[in-house]
Amino acid sequence: MSQPVLVVVAIAYLLLLFAIAWAVERGSGRISRLTGSSIVYTLSLAVYCSSWTFNGGVGRASQSGLDFLPIYLGPTLAFCLAPVLLRRILRISQANRITSISDLIGSRFGKSASLAALVTIIAVIGLVPYIALQLKSISSGLMALSTGRMTPGATGPMLADGALWAAIILTIFAMLFGSRSIRPGEHHPGMVVAVAAESILKLLSLTAVGLFVVYGLYGGFGDLFTQASKVPEIRVIFDEFPANHGYSWISMTALAALAVFCLPRQFQVMVVENVDENHLVRAAWLFPLYLLLINLFVLPIAFAGRMMLPEETDPDNIVLALPFVADYPALALVAFLGGLSAAASMVVVETTALSVMVCNDVVMPALLRVRRLGLSSRSDLTRLLLWIRRAAMAFIMVLGYIYMRHDSAQFALVSIGLMSFVAVAQFAPAILCGIYWRGASQLGAFAGISAGFLIWCYTLLLPSFAQSGALDIHFLIDGPFRIELLKPHALFGLSGLDPVTHAAFWSLLVNTGVLIAVSLGGRQTPVERARAAMFVDAVESGEAAQIWRRTALVPDLMSLTARFLGRERAAAAYASFARTRGVDPATAVQADAETVLFYERLLAGVIGAASARVLVGAIVEEEPLGVDEMMRILDETSRLIEANRQLEEKSQALEAATAELKEANARLQVLDRMKDDFVVTVNHELRTPLASIRAFSEILRDHPDLPDEERLEFLRIMVTESERLTRLIGQLLDLSKIEASGSMPAQSAPVDLAQVVRESAAAVQQVFARSRVELRIEVETEPAIVTGDRDRLVQVVINLLGNAAKFSPAGRGRAVLALRRVGREYELSVADNGPGIRPRDREVVFERFRQLGDSIDDKPQGAGLGLAISHRIVMQHGGRIWVEGTEAGGAVFKVRLPLSPRKAPEIGAPAASAHQA
Amino acid sequence: MLRRTARRDRMIGLFAAGAVLLNPPILNLVRGSLFGIPARYLYFFLVWALLIGLMAFVGERGSASADERGRGRPRR
Repeated sequence: MSQPVLVVVAIAYLLLLFAIAWAVERGSGRISRLTGSSIVYTLSLAVYCSSWTFNGGVGRASQSGLDFLPIYLGPTLAFCLAPVLLRRILRISQANRITSISDLIGSRFGKSASLAALVTIIAVIGLVPYIALQLKSISSGLMALSTGRMTPGATGPMLADGALWAAIILTIFAMLFGSRSIRPGEHHPGMVVAVAAESILKLLSLTAVGLFVVYGLYGGFGDLFTQASKVPEIRVIFDEFPANHGYSWISMTALAALAVFCLPRQFQVMVVENVDENHLVRAAWLFPLYLLLINLFVLPIAFAGRMMLPEETDPDNIVLALPFVADYPALALVAFLGGLSAAASMVVVETTALSVMVCNDVVMPALLRVRRLGLSSRSDLTRLLLWIRRAAMAFIMVLGYIYMRHDSAQFALVSIGLMSFVAVAQFAPAILCGIYWRGASQLGAFAGISAGFLIWCYTLLLPSFAQSGALDIHFLIDGPFRIELLKPHALFGLSGLDPVTHAAFWSLLVNTGVLIAVSLGGRQTPVERARAAMFVDAVESGEAAQIWRRTALVPDLMSLTARFLGRERAAAAYASFARTRGVDPATAVQADAETVLFYERLLAGVIGAASARVLVGAIVEEEPLGVDEMMRILDETSRLIEANRQLEEKSQALEAATAELKEANARLQVLDRMKDDFVVTVNHELRTPLASIRAFSEILRDHPDLPDEERLEFLRIMVTESERLTRLIGQLLDLSKIEASGSMPAQSAPVDLAQVVRESAAAVQQVFARSRVELRIEVETEPAIVTGDRDRLVQVVINLLGNAAKFSPAGRGRAVLALRRVGREYELSVADNGPGIRPRDREVVFERFRQLGDSIDDKPQGAGLGLAISHRIVMQHGGRIWVEGTEAGGAVFKVRLPLSPRKAPEIGAPAASAHQA
Repeated sequence: MLRRTARRDRMIGLFAAGAVLLNPPILNLVRGSLFGIPARYLYFFLVWALLIGLMAFVGERGSASADERGRGRPRR
């Protein structure tokens, strides 16, 4: 098979995968729904099985038997802990929108950028060998199939090197899959489905080769193993105990268990790409099942290879070599594509995950810090982000290729992979402590990871350089400066372990030890504490987590706040806060630092900043004792507040009562003033007739020679005035009676209004003459009989005329007293040409003692009692009284009284006498 | 709630059992061959398969009953 054909087939296969991914992301039809399936999720987890599994597992099995199995046992055991461990990581990550393993660690420890950057750098350095391993596997597979040589170390010149082309093509594909666009939450559904498809092919391909070997080349499992046991070297492998009482077995199991969530690509597919938490429940047993199935034929294939293939065959090429040697090139091609799938999916997902980490946690923070670029003010950075990611992918691939060219020939696939496992395992103490132990501090995590990484470099990375000749080999054999205790593979004299176990033991021990020691010795900042509590208290597991989802942090804070603010106000405040942040208050449960701060401030507004901090701190930390204690204090405080509130209520009631009293007092004062006014007004009203009587009396006294007629006339007026005075006094008494009882019995007799008019006019004649106001009388209808009290009606007319005389200008004043019939009513009107009454005052002039002037001494203005009494009288007669403006600007008082039903003109004597006047 | 907790505890139990049974020194006790097949290979895969089967049983039954409860509630 020629190399170009192989390359074309490989590229065609990769293009097919890309087509799948593209179709998924286009969202066309049934294929896009695949992303919501737990099977696809499980298969995407199988990106764990890289070419290390596919080719390296067989290689290792051919050398040391079952030793490859701990790599798959570890994940199985880790998935046993899915409900406790993995689900917790998943929930925390989804709640905090975590996009990578460095993001997880960085956010947990106070959103530390430096920690995230450290994790990213370690991941890149640690995984370069792993990526190199994939390239090596592809290139050696390509080489083996195209040349038929199956020996190791078959690397040619650089341009003819299959690994270079593999690296270039895989980089392009990684860019196409992983950085086509920036998506929220770093979801890559197309990539996931493509990886799932590759996982199916991996499994089918290896199973096909396995079935071919077991049943095609041999007569079944029994036959194969029986023949194998006859080969002494294989028998030895088999019956031997695992080396050193199984330390390496145990350490590999542990490393694999950690790697299944610490490897960036595993974190990517398991956590970041997860769309439904329930998928994890099914994947918890489906994924181990996949691992079991893909490993079922590894040992038989390895033994067959050992027996059938020549001694110098590269063990990592056995899977390809067996069908090739047996002259089944098509099956060999399937095996090659299986290995390619394994390598490609691993490289694509790993570089995608790493590029996100490099971009988000190293490059962007650094760029944003450089003010000159002005990045922080630019609104759209997606294009820049994409190019940074692509550059990161290319950079990682270049590193991987260089490492492969110079270093990896010395190592079998498995040992390179294990080296990377130890590197990423350095994240595990920080993650595990971070999600279970509130006290784990940022400084502790930083120190622990750094220390572990340094030991990894010293015990694994540097020796790998030494073995490849880049460093002096004596460094490895004798230790640096010939210090025995510092030998990289036997640090502090710990010999007898294989390098990986040795490195894993020391690095993880120091890592965890430093993390715990520094955390215990140090002090956390409040931000760190808040973050820690959010991560640790986030999920217990299972049902407890469900409870938390509904009732934890935000509800806790809510109930705490509600105790002080009342439920409604607390809820309203939180709702508006949530709205400003674009969060649905009904579903948001995770209280992040901002929400905690918001509640703290809300509380601080009620109980003061110091107490609020203590209270919120207690809730956030959720220390059981602390909470009980705090609740007790809280209850006391709320009782105090309740008492305070009651006191306030009482004082408010008191204030209200005081206000009422004040008001009543003010009313009384007004009434008092009105009484005074009343007295003054009454005084005035009494004075007027008295003055008239006195004036006529003085005339009579001073002029004894007055003609009799005139004297009689004067006396008659005096008598009339006296009578009016008497009546007025009576009226005052009546008025006070009205005021007291609200009713006054009106005398009901027929009254001729025309007579009333004349009598009234005669009575005020003097007044008009004195104030030099002309009075005209227009009686249109006579007699005008109404039922009522004559005196009262006269009083009304006199009153109105008095007002007219008072308000008309002296000398040119003109008043008109008119009587006419309007429908079923008689209308009495008194018009003057005075200043008039402003429209807004026209209603109030009829109120008792209402003065339009400022004071009672402002005499011409005083309407006083007169209009009030008139109003009352008219009302008692069933009529109406109102005031209008005249065209000339004066005022017209109009009175309307209903016609009397009785027509009989019974005119009494007083009326006749008045008529005479 | 009880069921969920029980499921979690059972899974932890399976973890412990798997860790003990599939690691040295217990693993080292198995040697020789059975029906021509290496006994350790047989033992390992059988225990592994059993472990996965139990995980499936515990996990799926738990979620199935949870589903049932979820479905049953509105009917009532």
